[in-house]
Amino acid sequence: MSMATYAGRIRTLRHAAASRRRSTSLALLTALGAAFALALYLGDYPIPPLAVVQSLFSPLTGLTDRSVDFIVLQVRLPRAVLALLSGASFGLAGIIFQTLLRNPLASPDIIGIAHGASAAAVFCIIILGWTALAVSVGAFLGAILTALAIYLLAWRDGVTAFRVVLIGIGMAAMLAAAISYLFTRARLNEVQQAMAWLVGSLNAARPEDCIVLGGAMLVLVPLLIGLVRGLDAMELGDDTARALGATVERSRLGLMLVAVGFAAFATAAVGPVGFVAFVSGPLARYLLKGTGRGFPQAALVGALVMLVSDLIAQHMLPAVQLPVGVVTGACGALFLLWLLMSSGRSGRIN
Amino acid sequence: MFRAVAFTLALFTMTTLPGMAQGWHYVGGDGNAVELDAVPQRIIASQDAAAGLIPLGIRPVGIYADSAVADAKALQGLDLAGIEIIGQAWGEVDIEKAAALEPDLIVAEYWPLESTWSGGDDVVSALAPLAPVTGPEQGASILTLIEDYEALAQSLGADLAAPSIAAEKSAFQAALAEFKAATAAKPDLTALAVWAGADALYVAATAGSSELMDFANWGLDLIDPEVADDRGYWEILSWENADKYQPDLIMVDNRSDATMQTAMAQPTWTLMKAAQAGQVADWPAFWLRNYRVYASELAKLTAAIKAADADLAP
Amino acid sequence: MLIWRPDHRPTSEGGRARAAARLALGLLLLALALFALALISLATGARAIPLENVWAALVAFDPNATEHRIVWDLRLPRTIVGLMVGAALGLAGAVLQGATRNPLADPSILGIHAGASLAVVLGVALLGMTQLSSYVWLAFAGAGLSMLVVYSVASVGRDGATPVKLALAGAAITAVLYAIINAILLTSPRTLDEVRFWQVGSLSGRTVDIALQVAPFLLIGALLALATARLLDGLSMGDDVARAIGQRVGLSRGLAGLAAVVLAGASTAAAGPIAFVGLTVPHVARAIAGPSYRWILPYSMLLAPILLLGADVIGRVIATPGEVQVGIVTAFLGAPVFMALVRRRKLAAL
Repeated sequence: MSMATYAGRIRTLRHAAASRRRSTSLALLTALGAAFALALYLGDYPIPPLAVVQSLFSPLTGLTDRSVDFIVLQVRLPRAVLALLSGASFGLAGIIFQTLLRNPLASPDIIGIAHGASAAAVFCIIILGWTALAVSVGAFLGAILTALAIYLLAWRDGVTAFRVVLIGIGMAAMLAAAISYLFTRARLNEVQQAMAWLVGSLNAARPEDCIVLGGAMLVLVPLLIGLVRGLDAMELGDDTARALGATVERSRLGLMLVAVGFAAFATAAVGPVGFVAFVSGPLARYLLKGTGRGFPQAALVGALVMLVSDLIAQHMLPAVQLPVGVVTGACGALFLLWLLMSSGRSGRIN
Repeated sequence: MFRAVAFTLALFTMTTLPGMAQGWHYVGGDGNAVELDAVPQRIIASQDAAAGLIPLGIRPVGIYADSAVADAKALQGLDLAGIEIIGQAWGEVDIEKAAALEPDLIVAEYWPLESTWSGGDDVVSALAPLAPVTGPEQGASILTLIEDYEALAQSLGADLAAPSIAAEKSAFQAALAEFKAATAAKPDLTALAVWAGADALYVAATAGSSELMDFANWGLDLIDPEVADDRGYWEILSWENADKYQPDLIMVDNRSDATMQTAMAQPTWTLMKAAQAGQVADWPAFWLRNYRVYASELAKLTAAIKAADADLAP
Repeated sequence: MLIWRPDHRPTSEGGRARAAARLALGLLLLALALFALALISLATGARAIPLENVWAALVAFDPNATEHRIVWDLRLPRTIVGLMVGAALGLAGAVLQGATRNPLADPSILGIHAGASLAVVLGVALLGMTQLSSYVWLAFAGAGLSMLVVYSVASVGRDGATPVKLALAGAAITAVLYAIINAILLTSPRTLDEVRFWQVGSLSGRTVDIALQVAPFLLIGALLALATARLLDGLSMGDDVARAIGQRVGLSRGLAGLAAVVLAGASTAAAGPIAFVGLTVPHVARAIAGPSYRWILPYSMLLAPILLLGADVIGRVIATPGEVQVGIVTAFLGAPVFMALVRRRKLAAL
């Protein structure tokens, strides 16, 4: 094979990969847009589509209808936006950890960070008797402190992925035990409150929550884009990466901090909604069929899983509204199972 | 801006209803007064408030519960026909259904320890934009709480003198008199309130629950655990230490039938002489909200006290 | 996604024999320690009982003596259950990690705990079951069913149940099952009230009946697990190598999975879902005994009950007159030790 045709083939492959990434993102964005529109339209307070649109533009046009505006602007919009932002954050946190630690099970909801947030929140609810915002702040600090503890405990002339994972599961086990212990000591209504928090809900979504999480993402996403350039070296494995330069450790730490930031802010806003962080990375990569690292796609998948799950949670059962965390598990998991089985038929995965 | 919208919305929903001439005023358990231009007609109630109000003739338009309605002990036996259920899990309330009900008032119970209303902050902050939230305060007595509901119901237009309502109250008063007579007849009888799990026996502190404080006030000698846990609700006893206290009468939490079965399945349950002798009764833990159920629970307890041998324990 | 590679240390014939003798001696010492611990477990509890009375209870039982009843009805059954469950958890964890070549594999991640928990939750919520002895069959059936589903999902496709697919399918099924569990627990405080104690993992309240119910399964599972040692050693070299030396990879994984589900299902049925033991003990066993599953399995089988029973004894005396559940103590006792080990030694990857 001549040099020219070889280069040509690489160019073609690159081109195909880029177009695969583009079409995947486009498909995800379309689905996301549809789900978002549906979230603004569906509800037990019937509002015709036109009125929804009118209400959305009412701050500009001044054409207001107070009860419709309350439902659209104060209930549905913040809820949908918060689902979007938190889903994207969880997705990014998950795929960063899975990539850094090179294990599909190593998402923050398995290696202890979600446990840190949860244990802190349960402690705040059951022992301190706190509610609402104070619990969120506690959970945020819990996530950050746990991540820090895992990193420090795993540090020994640098950190290896394997050590972080093992320290993380040790930490997760301890924190889960602490939660169980608090559960057995509390009164039933405190346990209910804590349990509801642990499952994660969008029911209390307020515009303020969106602003806080959105603001955090405005800082974290550019940081992530900056740090991601260092990743290519890292994916070759610890030893190769170390040989490539000294900046690896620093960008690894930076990426972990960013991932923890995403997880902590999202958890503080909606609770440790299960499985979104776990499932987004693998799903994005399946969709890309090996043509990219899948960070942006994982964010889109996370947002989509969260938004669709909340639609199902709100409208599936006529009389019972379930918290979104009940459904994300099922929704994300069924999607993953379907992909596992269909890609399994067509050949090897990964 | 959010508050302003909420407030105008509340005003808006009120003015669209056929208003009554006189205004309405109520001071809630949180100490804040609620002033409305008319007596509220459309009420959304928490499950416990509904259990307090419905037997007094005030029917809410919507109820939010923190469990499936079938599981909500306080609501059992009440006619809920025509009432919209807008929440059946902790922290979850269908805010759109609630808005469509156009409530004038949200009635819940104030929890002084958590300084929030029944259902928790998330639910209350979701409902608060629709209408003012108020209600009685949970305190040292279920009887007082029921009386608070009477006052609230009366202000909402209930006729407490209606024959069926008055009959329930007098039946309760008769049951109470019987209970007091029974405890007075057995001054040496001691009782212990417990929750039983496979892991441990949980002995309740009297001050941790309103109905236990009522019973103590009415002459029942409740044994208080020596060391309450960090929250002051329970002493947790290993089943190896099940005989730490020897009451004449054991009261077992009856929110779930399972508790009694679990207790009886433990090999050391009968280390308590009262358990051995079958001197075991129901403890209606935390769920009493009206005269009807209070009277029937009191009657069961009175019967158990009368039947019990008061000199069982040393 | 990268899977850990085994660590094959070249050793001479003589060196190997010496190492084997040393490892066998270690096993003997562990067995003695376990026996001593079982005696301590009979003599220790939330209630102080003089040693001579404990002895009298064992040799001359008097049904009217309170202390005799406590030794005979409470301590003896929980000691027996603790020994059985501990051994089963250790073996199940080691076998699963070997079969899936994932250091995070344990019964809680492969759907076994979730299946057992869902079955128990359904039993309590729908059938009104309340007694531990009635949970046993439910938990066992649930564990078996969920593992079966996990395995079948992962087996779809030409390449069969690869480690990555097993881990993902396990986590996905777990998420689906927990969605259902959470939906029930959130709407049924009565069920939550029962299950919050069961799901901590405890040896308290276990009767001889329960031990007898699960004993045959544990025996069969243990024999099967020990018999798979050679197959696991083959798998640890990677599927391709294992295939090249004539091993039937799918069959090996299936057998190991069967052993794990029988063991983990029966132990969960007896003591509730105890997460930490099966996850970490095999790592400790690997650190002591090296990479061969012929040693890892028996070491895990002895180390795990030492951890479990030791934790139970401690849990009985640290909170008198109450107790702390064994699931909590194992995590709080085991996790720091485990993390220290991860830091100090270079835990062998698998």
